[in-house]
Amino acid sequence: MYFIANGFIYRKSNSIIHKLDPRVKLLISIQLFTLALLVSNLYNLAIIFIAISIFSLLGKITKRLLRTMIFATGFSALILIINYFAGYSLIYSIQIALRFIAIVCSTSLFFLVTSPDELEYVLRWFRLPRDLVFAFVTSVRFVPVILMDTLQIIDAQKSRGLELEKGNPIIRIKKFIPILVPLIINEVIRSGELAEAMESRGYGISKNPTSLYSLKLINQDLIVMFITSISFISIIFFGY
Amino acid sequence: MIEFKQVSYNHPDGTNALNNINLKIKKNSITAIVGNNGAGKTTLVKHINGLLKPSKGEVIIENNSTKKSSVAELSRNVGMVFQNANHQLFADTVKNEILFGLKNFGFDQDYIDKRYELMTNLFDLRKYEEISPLKLSGGEKKKVCLASVLAWNPEILILDEPTVGQDELQKNILFEFINTLHSNNKTIIVISHDIEFLWRLQPNIITMSDGRIIEINSPEKIFTDKELINKVGLIPPQIIKIFNGLGIEKDIPINLEDACKRIQGLMEE
Repeated sequence: MYFIANGFIYRKSNSIIHKLDPRVKLLISIQLFTLALLVSNLYNLAIIFIAISIFSLLGKITKRLLRTMIFATGFSALILIINYFAGYSLIYSIQIALRFIAIVCSTSLFFLVTSPDELEYVLRWFRLPRDLVFAFVTSVRFVPVILMDTLQIIDAQKSRGLELEKGNPIIRIKKFIPILVPLIINEVIRSGELAEAMESRGYGISKNPTSLYSLKLINQDLIVMFITSISFISIIFFGY
Repeated sequence: MIEFKQVSYNHPDGTNALNNINLKIKKNSITAIVGNNGAGKTTLVKHINGLLKPSKGEVIIENNSTKKSSVAELSRNVGMVFQNANHQLFADTVKNEILFGLKNFGFDQDYIDKRYELMTNLFDLRKYEEISPLKLSGGEKKKVCLASVLAWNPEILILDEPTVGQDELQKNILFEFINTLHSNNKTIIVISHDIEFLWRLQPNIITMSDGRIIEINSPEKIFTDKELINKVGLIPPQIIKIFNGLGIEKDIPINLEDACKRIQGLMEE
């Protein structure tokens, strides 16, 4: 679980990609996502994977993005098999499976290089309601915490003889009850405590709170935006 | 006997949590592990019931390497009570919570009934048996956790921060309880930052820092070593502070009564 989750959790770094304006990072992710949805041949899919590899190398997140890929490969194998047995050609089934991996990786790429704070600035820049943004960003921020809770609960229950790996699929699903119940209860308690802590620090008093930071595009952002947008448009209009 | 032979452990993200640990914990002993946050205390004890397997080296419990056994097999002899009771409690009633481990280990119904009776009497939980454990107070929840682990009578008991969130009355009950288990030939390992509690308990103390064992010694030797306690971020117990203030460095009394008598004697001199 730790292995999979690490493919989506942000870690601070000093890379060129990390330093980009979060709106540029979002734009790159959306472009890659859109291309993955639209392209229809293996050649274009290869271009997407090359682009993802370049960004992950520049962002120093290759190892963790590989984890995402491994995680997505399991599902994409299933997609491939279902498509193939549904009567589609092998090449088409492979394309669909690779598309899925590209979609997951393009999303993961954004979350791996964008801190929850940056995510908040981007969402607020879109003029989304503050409460909604806060709820979304908090849930992203709490992913590592919930993951740690889950691991601790699994340890506690394993220590009392719970063997998650044994039994038929139905028994295995039932065995997750001792994991899920404390996890849900803990998170409900935590969200209640967080709400109280936020309210006691004045959250919600001002309708238009000020921010210490503001988003500013610098030359580096503009160059990256220009290059990726040109590439994106070229592939859309000439690539497929 | 619990033995760590040149054990090192790296977390999945690559950070080193334990570094070349060599350690022997005798049967029927009380051992405490102290150290600053992130010293590797919990990581160390998780190796005893196989929740973690060493990256290097070997952990041997009663002549068997933990590498060859599953967590469930090891947990039959190693009970572990975690710091946060809310990470463990899930059942609809206290009764089912206590029975959870007993059922997992596949004991026969007679034994389950016998152990359940014993636990509810020992921890005074009879009145709560049909109540959800989640509705209990922090101290009562801790009791349920202890009862649910001790129910299958493990030979080794690991308590991770057992005094956190406990009032003095609960701490006294816990103190008596650990001593009772010790007199019943159990091996007890306590992770704690509660120095006053450890001073009363007088266990062998293992001090850890940065994934290494710095020293293993008696509480008096550990808590009077100013350099050591500074290094691991501890504060000596009040009694030691008082007697050190009086210029006494050795044979410091353990309980308050003896301390009073000693001070009275000093005043008369």
